[in-house]
Parts: sequence; C-alpha cells; structure tokens
Amino acid sequence: MPSTAIEVRGVDKYFGRFQALDKLDLTVRTGQVAGFLGPNGSGKSTTIRVLLGLLRADAGSVGLLGGDPWRDAVTLHRRLAYVPGDVTLWPGLTGGQAIDLLGRLRGGLDSGRRRELLSRFELDPTKKARTYSKGNRQKVALVAALASDAELLILDEPTSGLDPLMEAVFTECVLEAKAQGRTVLLSSHILSEVEKLCDTVTIIRKGRSVESGTLDDLRHLTRSSVRATVAGDARALEGADGVHNLRIDGETVTLDVDNTRMDTVMRALTGLGIRSLVSNPPSLEELFMRHYGDEPAARGGDGSAAA
Amino acid sequence: MSALTGTGTLVRFVLRRDRVRLTVWTLALVGTVVGTIPALNDMFSTDAQRQARAAIMDTPTGVVFGGPGYGLDDYQLGPMVVNELTMSMLIALAVMSILHVVRHTRAEEESVRAELLRANVLGASAQMTAALVTVSLVNLLIGGLTTLTLVGNGLETADSVAYGLGLALAGISFGAIAAVCAQIVEHGRSAAGLAFLVIGVLFMSRVVGDMAEDGGNALSWLSPFAWAQQTRVFDDLRWWPLALYAAFIAVLFALTYALARRRDLGAGLVASRPGPAGAGGLLNSAFALHLHQQRGAVLAWTAATFLFALSFGSLATEVEAMLEQNPDLVAIVGGSAEDATKGFLGVMGGYVLMAASAYAAISVLRTRTEETSGRAELTLSTAVGRVRWFGSALLVSALSSALIVAMGGLGMGLSAAAALEDSSWTWTMLGAALAQLPVALLFAALTALLVGAAPRLVPLVWAWLGYSLLVSMFGALLGLDEWLLNMSAFELLPKLPNEEFDAASVTVALGAVLVVGAVALAGFRRRDLATV
Repeated sequence: MPSTAIEVRGVDKYFGRFQALDKLDLTVRTGQVAGFLGPNGSGKSTTIRVLLGLLRADAGSVGLLGGDPWRDAVTLHRRLAYVPGDVTLWPGLTGGQAIDLLGRLRGGLDSGRRRELLSRFELDPTKKARTYSKGNRQKVALVAALASDAELLILDEPTSGLDPLMEAVFTECVLEAKAQGRTVLLSSHILSEVEKLCDTVTIIRKGRSVESGTLDDLRHLTRSSVRATVAGDARALEGADGVHNLRIDGETVTLDVDNTRMDTVMRALTGLGIRSLVSNPPSLEELFMRHYGDEPAARGGDGSAAA
Repeated sequence: MSALTGTGTLVRFVLRRDRVRLTVWTLALVGTVVGTIPALNDMFSTDAQRQARAAIMDTPTGVVFGGPGYGLDDYQLGPMVVNELTMSMLIALAVMSILHVVRHTRAEEESVRAELLRANVLGASAQMTAALVTVSLVNLLIGGLTTLTLVGNGLETADSVAYGLGLALAGISFGAIAAVCAQIVEHGRSAAGLAFLVIGVLFMSRVVGDMAEDGGNALSWLSPFAWAQQTRVFDDLRWWPLALYAAFIAVLFALTYALARRRDLGAGLVASRPGPAGAGGLLNSAFALHLHQQRGAVLAWTAATFLFALSFGSLATEVEAMLEQNPDLVAIVGGSAEDATKGFLGVMGGYVLMAASAYAAISVLRTRTEETSGRAELTLSTAVGRVRWFGSALLVSALSSALIVAMGGLGMGLSAAAALEDSSWTWTMLGAALAQLPVALLFAALTALLVGAAPRLVPLVWAWLGYSLLVSMFGALLGLDEWLLNMSAFELLPKLPNEEFDAASVTVALGAVLVVGAVALAGFRRRDLATV
C-alpha cells in the first residue's frame, strides 16, 4: 500500500472563465485524518469532485490510492466511500434502502455495523427520503459510508446538518475509523471540528492551498479571543508578548491571545483582579482575515491596542 | 387575516414568473386559429371541395378529432373552424391548464417554496386561488382573441363569442380538474399524471358517444370536450350548453377548497406510510435503481396507452357500421371497408407512437435531473462507472418505450380482433406498432446525445418532438410542402398496416439509434458532471 493516499499537485480547474482551483496542492498520508479547511466557496467541494473523477482537472496531477481518479474511477471507488456536503436522496426510496443500495453499488456492506450505526445515529431507516431533514439525509450517507470497508473516507462538511449530540457520535466514528487504519479526508469550515479530529490540516482559500501541516505546525494560527472584566488598569497589558487587538472600555477588556502565550497573559490578567472571563477559539473567518489579508482585515490592521 | 389574504399579490407574481410561458402558449394557440383560417379558405375554396372535406370529417377518424359533426351539411368557414380546430384547441388548452395549475399548486408545495410563502402574510387558500385565477385569465384571453379573430374574418359575432367563450370555459374546466387532482396526491408529477388520465377518459367518452350517434349520445354529453361544440355554433346556435361548464367549474372549485381544508401543507389526502428498512435483493445495480425510479411512470404511461388503444381498437366496428350506412365514404377513404379500418387503426397507432416517443424523451431526461440534483454524484462515487450508469438509464428508457409501443399495439389489436371477430388483427396491429418503435428509440437516443454532450441544447429535442406532433396532426390540413412534412419524425418510417414494411429504412433507423446512443455515452464519459 502506498504511503500517500491522496497526492494533488498544482491542480487548476476552470468553470468557463471562473477559476475554481488555482495550483492547488493537497497531500494526505495513508492512515491519517486530514482536515481540509476553507471558507464557503473556496474550492473544497470542487477539489473533492476532482478527487472522485467527477470533474477533470485542467492542469496538474491528481493521484488517489495510487491511481488516476479520472481514468480508474470505478476500481478506485471500490476502495473509498464519499459523503457529499448536501446529500440528495431518491424520493421513492427509504433511508434503509438507500443505505443498502449505496453499499451494494460500492461492493458490500457490513450488516452488523450498519445496524449499530443506525442505532448510534438514531436514524429511522423506514422513512421515505423525502420526509428526512437535511441532517437525516446526511446520516443516511454517513451510515452507508461508515458501514463499508472502504480504506479511504472522503467527507465533505459532513456535520453541517447534525445537532451537537450527533456531532459527538460522528467524532467517535471518525476516531474509530482512524483506529482501524483507515484514511479520512474531512472538509470543513469549522476550525474546532478539525482541531478535534485531524492529524494534519490543509487550508484552502480562493482555490489555493495557503497553509498545510500538522496541527502543531499551525498552532501559530490559533489565537483565542478573551473578554474580561477586571478591577485594575488593563493598560498594563499593552505591548505584552502574545497580546493582540487590545481594546479597553472602562473595566471591560477584550483581546486576542496567541495560544502559546495564554499562560503568561492569564497570569497578568489575574494580577489585575478578574471579575468575569470569557474565552473563545477564533473563528475561521477571523483567522483568514488576520492571516490572509482580506479587505476587512486590511482595514482593521493587525496593530495591538487599536482602541 | 382571511384565507385569501395576499391573493392579488400572488396573481401578479404568477403572471410575472410565467410571462414568457403564458405568452408563448397564447401566441401559439391564437396563432393556430389565425393561421388556419386562410389555409382553410385556400384549400377548400369551392363548395364542392368543402363538401368533399365535410364527407371526410364524417368518417370515423374525422369524428375522433372533429367532433359531433354539426354544420357538415353546409360546410362554410364557420363550421370548418369548429370541426377542424376545436379538438386540437381543447387538447392544447387542457395540457396548458393542467401544467399551469399543478405548477403553481402541488409542484410549488413540493419544492418547499410554498412553505416560505405561507410563512409570510398569506392566506391558506391564496396560492390555490391565484393558480385558478391566472388559469382562468389566460383561458379567457385565448378565448377572447379567438373570438376577435373569427369576427375579424367576417363570421357572425354571437357565434364567435359563444365559440371563444366555450373554449375558455373548457380550458378552465380542465384547470379545475387539475386543481382537484393536486389535492389528492402528494407529488406534482403524479398530480399532472392523474389529471391527464381523467382528461383522457373524458376525451374517449366524447369520441365513443359521438361515434355511436350523430350529434353524440349521453356518453358524449358527460364530457366537457363535447359542450363547446354542443352549442352548435355557426350552425344553429344555442347558449345553454355553456351553463354546463359553469356548473362543472363551480362544483370542482368547491371540491378543491373543501379538500384543501382537510389536509396539511405538503401532505396528500393519502398519507405516506413507512417503507421497508432495507433494500430488497433486486435493488443492487444502477439498472435496478433506474428501473425502480421509473416503474411508476412506466406503468402509468403503459396503462394509459393500453386503455387508449383498447378503446380505439374497439371502434373498428363503428368504422364498418359507418361505411355500411354511407357507402360514399368508401370512395373517400379509398379501397375497401378493410382498408378503411386499417387506415383508421393506422392513424390511431400513430398516437401510440407519439406517446412512446414523448415518454422516451422524458425518461432519458430524468438522468439530467439525477445529475443536477446531486444524486448522480452519490451513485457515481460508488463503483458504478459513468458508461454503466448512463447506459443502463438508456436501456431502461428504451425498454419502457418498447413496452408502451407493444402494449399500445397489442391493446388496439386485441380489441379490434374482438370487435371484428378476426384474431389476425392482434398480430397485425402489434407488428404495425413495433415496426415504428425505432422512431421512439430515436427520440431517446437524441435526448441522450444532448444530455451527454450538450445539456444546454436539450430543448431542441422538445422542439423537434413538438414540430413532429404538429406537422403530423395538421400538416396535411395546413397544406404544408412535402419536405416540411418529411421533417416530422413520425413520417420517417412507413405507417403499417396500410403501408408496406420497409426493412431497409427500419435498419437505417435502428443503426442511427445505436450510433447516436454510442456518441451520447462517449460524450457523457468525457464531460464534467454538473455540480449542485
């Protein structure tokens, strides 16, 4: 088995004159859970469709499980399972029928695991597909994918319709798949989801990969935003190492903190006498604005103490 | 807030959304009237010619698409318009009204757009009412313009008004039928199907009634297809049959609202039940999936065609009876009574082929819906190759059209054999139908070619199908040139049983089907899949 499950190099894809992918690179090693992160419309689904041989790359090379997905689609598809971001099912089939059909078309389904997944995802397989909500349609595709023996799972924003409880079930399932030695490509626009599950992350924006590596490599990208009410004078924090975007409004102070400097900053805050404290991980959008200079970020700048 | 709040806004919205669609329908239908009148004047310019034409309208085929035959004794322009045009106009109005009403009621509910609207300040009955108001408006417009056209050509004003009003009221009646159907079933497609079935039965009941008796018997009077001509316009005008439309419409509208009040948004009167928790053993391939998706439609189309064929086949005795009553007719239709029967059944067999061709195109077009909905993406992400997926869809379409053609031929043959007490008709008609099958397959292949290679050009298939239907039904009447006639798909192959089977042209047609199908598959394999 090759050590690289997915190897995409310099792929361009045009839709008419619109360039959807721009020299995109993506590498996923066998047995890893790889996050594929980007805002809406950045080209994640297009990349996945190229990987599935549904779209043909205009330039660059695409390797999937050691083959060419455009040429060898059928043989490669026996070894992978795909969950689209927006699952549409056949209105005349029940969820259970759709699961069996997809499994059979792929070449087999573990009926024990199917039963177990149905109960874990609390999915009623006797309902007609048209009566399912978005989340339930997604569960159908997830159960079909996870109950297969596929060595590669390609999941396109698989949790976008799931409630938090089901998201937790999904997280467990992906970790189990990883423990079984399967490779997972998980696209998402939610940073925390990727942080929870993935060994490596590739960040894509406007069709280009802008960052990739292990989560530790990317740790510098992650800052938390902190909002606190303090008794003392918060100006003491000005210019402190790891503090960004400090804003002081009376007793209330908001700031972004590099996660690596969290400890020292918290000590400084504690010294000021904390009355209340809220800390949030940064949203992907904030991250993009900060690091890749979109217009809003250009306006706001990256200076500290911009109050 | 009343149940009708917002109806006015919705009416304007529907008219705006459908401005092109409704304009095209109006222009096409009124244009047919405007264009046919000079053609009629031209082709039948002397009394002798007109009376000869009247004699043809008195034949069985003439009665099917002509009507009860009022005014044939003195076949001037007025009676000519009524006998030559009415049935086609009514069928077209029925198609337009059914599609319009279903589109703005059940299909809208199905698409969740209705939910968005109903969450707004909108009465519960507003959408239904807007659909009925707009369908009435467009029918009245077409009827009114028809009246103006007739008056403009120097016909009596009162009769012209009665005729235009009759067409409009008939159209609204068909819309009302669709409205009731839309309350009963859960899907737009099945609502339209049910409405077309009802229309088909009503059409047949008029045909049978008009054939049995001059001026139509009670069976004919049961059908809204009859009343527009029962006013005896341009012959001996009477207004009261129009009141039948008014009563019919009032009852159906009331029924629609009563049914609508008894159900939830999006639900049918028959609630959908839970289905099987797993797929049966047969649902294990792309072919099985396509078949499963289409089985309802195939059964409906086959059953409808079979019933249509059965009823027309049984009219074979009427053909003989009419010829016995009126020996002059034999000269008009040419040859013997048997030739006349063959000719009649051959013409009716043409309609079986038209149905199968339309289904072939619709069926192949479903692959496009599968693709744009994202379902094809899911299927093709499994170990199903593109050629297998698209090819098995084409196979299902081809087999379905073959089934429709075969059952149409068989139905016509069986009932003709029973009516004429001669079993050889079964095989004659089955063979005649199957000999034309390549035409239906050609429509499947051409649709596949466009879906596979140039999805944006799919409307071209409809254009050719529409052209072929029009030319084959009206071409001779409009006096079109030979080459225009020959461009109709339905003129490609000899029409059995009156014409001889021609192995060469059938082979060429089948070869074309295979070549076009292969190019379609190659095109589909090479192109990007449509993304959602």
